[in-house]
Amino acid sequence: MRWLTILVVLVLAGSLAAPGIAQQKLKAGFVYVGPIGDYGWTHAHDFARKIAEKKLPWLETLYVEKVPEGQTESFIDKLIQQGARVIFTTSFGFMDGTLAAAKRYPNQIFAHASGFKRAPNVATYMADFYQVYYLNGLMAGAVTKSGKIGYVGAFPIPEVKRHIGAFALGARAVNPKATVHVRWIYEWFSPTAAKEATEALIAEGADVFAFTEDSPTVVQVAAKRGLPSFGHYSPMHKFAPKHMVSGQLVHWDKIYVDFLSKVYAGKYTAENLANVDYWWLLAEGAAELGGDFGMPINPEWAGRMQAVKVGTPDLGRLSVYDLVMKRLAQMSDPKVTFEPFTGPIKDRKGVLRVQSGKRMTVGELNTMEWAAPGVVGPWPKEP
Amino acid sequence: MLEWVLTAIVRALAVSTPLLWASLGEIYAERSGVINLGVEGMMILGALSAFVVAQVTGYPVAGLLAAAAAGGLAALLHAFVSVTLRANQYVSGLALTMLGLGLAGVLGRGWEGTPLLNTLPEISWLTYMGLLLAAGLWLVLHHTRMGMVIRSTGESPAAADALGVNVYLVRYLCVVFGGVLAGVAGGFLSVAYRPSWTEGMTAGLGWIAIAITIFAGWDPLRAVAGAFLFGALFHLSFRLQAWIQPEALRMMPFAFTILVLAATAGRRRGQGAPEALGLPYASGER
Repeated sequence: MRWLTILVVLVLAGSLAAPGIAQQKLKAGFVYVGPIGDYGWTHAHDFARKIAEKKLPWLETLYVEKVPEGQTESFIDKLIQQGARVIFTTSFGFMDGTLAAAKRYPNQIFAHASGFKRAPNVATYMADFYQVYYLNGLMAGAVTKSGKIGYVGAFPIPEVKRHIGAFALGARAVNPKATVHVRWIYEWFSPTAAKEATEALIAEGADVFAFTEDSPTVVQVAAKRGLPSFGHYSPMHKFAPKHMVSGQLVHWDKIYVDFLSKVYAGKYTAENLANVDYWWLLAEGAAELGGDFGMPINPEWAGRMQAVKVGTPDLGRLSVYDLVMKRLAQMSDPKVTFEPFTGPIKDRKGVLRVQSGKRMTVGELNTMEWAAPGVVGPWPKEP
Repeated sequence: MLEWVLTAIVRALAVSTPLLWASLGEIYAERSGVINLGVEGMMILGALSAFVVAQVTGYPVAGLLAAAAAGGLAALLHAFVSVTLRANQYVSGLALTMLGLGLAGVLGRGWEGTPLLNTLPEISWLTYMGLLLAAGLWLVLHHTRMGMVIRSTGESPAAADALGVNVYLVRYLCVVFGGVLAGVAGGFLSVAYRPSWTEGMTAGLGWIAIAITIFAGWDPLRAVAGAFLFGALFHLSFRLQAWIQPEALRMMPFAFTILVLAATAGRRRGQGAPEALGLPYASGER
């Protein structure tokens, strides 16, 4: 299927690339790890690609989907043969393949999502969710009745651990006794595994759900039992209009438009990218709070959020609704006046991980392996 | 404790339902001598057809009928290529899987992200019917003339041919029947188990159904045990994570499949594969 789809896409892309206009237009190629129909990570990248193409009249795009991580280079070769000048690789596992291809094509521009290795012609970028997860955690802490929050995790890697950590910190800020129960599925996209993991958590008494998996499965399974959940990556509100409280949404298009515009203007070249890293969050508009665009908290749940009052050191006593909105504003401020990972923070074993008054650096966040207090369940590579 | 076991059984039944339907179909196809590695492809076509028809008509059962038709049609293609054209069955089946996954992926664009409003419960008549079907198919296979004809077509098509059996017809019917059941299995996924459409949502279940066919020794009743066992292992791999390393647990169902295959590999005729499995048959040639 992979080959067939790729072949069809390449033929279509090739036929669209009329030789005459190719001179003025900038061609960008996207390498996707999943199917664009996954309704998660790859879907979001592809959605952004289309927005960028619409916004930038001089832009042409190509893409290949379901690319196995070991074959990154050969698919990059194909995109470059098709005339792509800029290549975006959108999976952590594409990192080394991207760097190797960049060495072979020193005149092409590369950008790798979610990685940390750069080169003169390789930039890195990431729209990260940990701040939004903290906000979702605040809400999860308010809606849980059993105090057990379920989390279906894809892979136990720093990115997912950081998200669960922020989520747990949020939940505990509202509900000090709340626990986040984690089950790992070891897949980015597996509706069956996500489904059974959710069922397992329900059987163990969890009554609110969040997850990292590229389908709306967890939201659907929870809603079927009348339980609230938080969406992930794509607008999943319509799968459970009554039960989805909020979630995380991404705007990769903000990064793509900015990056490509700078390439087009000659600001970014194949020689000056070694220090270019987009680490874009709420303040840059790359992340959004909500289960659907423009809806940070589902109106169905607004009343419940307003009814639960909590005390905070800086804002005094207020409802969870107001707390979420205030924290959202603080993190969306260009100066970022609130950060979830601000010390003192101990891990779940009691080891002090963030010094009092310190904020975790991007480097620390990117390599975070410890589990936040309140996280229950297996935690591979726990220090 | 009792509740713990009961929920595990219910979950195992839910997971095993599509596996059972698909493997029952594959057992009949293979008993007639035609191996069909296109189960995954037929399932995904079934899943998409069921979802689209259920969405448009509002009736999940109409969706399942469409899934049966889609699976049957896809299987017809395999029957034509492997029985009539006598092409390599393995290649034809693999091609069917690739074709099905690719075709469903392309045709399904635009349906992802649409929730299905009218759905079937997971443990539904499809689950019970799967169990009844297994019993019925076992009876037919081992205790009727029809079953004998199917088995002899798979064991020795030449001998069956000499006795006046239309080998081509039997193989066509069995392969298409297998496709119909695989289609329903896929339909179950998209209208009951996980009511929505996402590309690649069968995620390897078709291959597991083929493994269950072998595990069951091509016997419909043993397929019930195989499907249930796999469903239980799959669910338990998440339940037991609080106590056992998750990496080890996730491997469990697959490691178990390999173990079973290794353990049954040495078995002799009678319990093993139909003698003529995978061999194209031409009347008059030997």
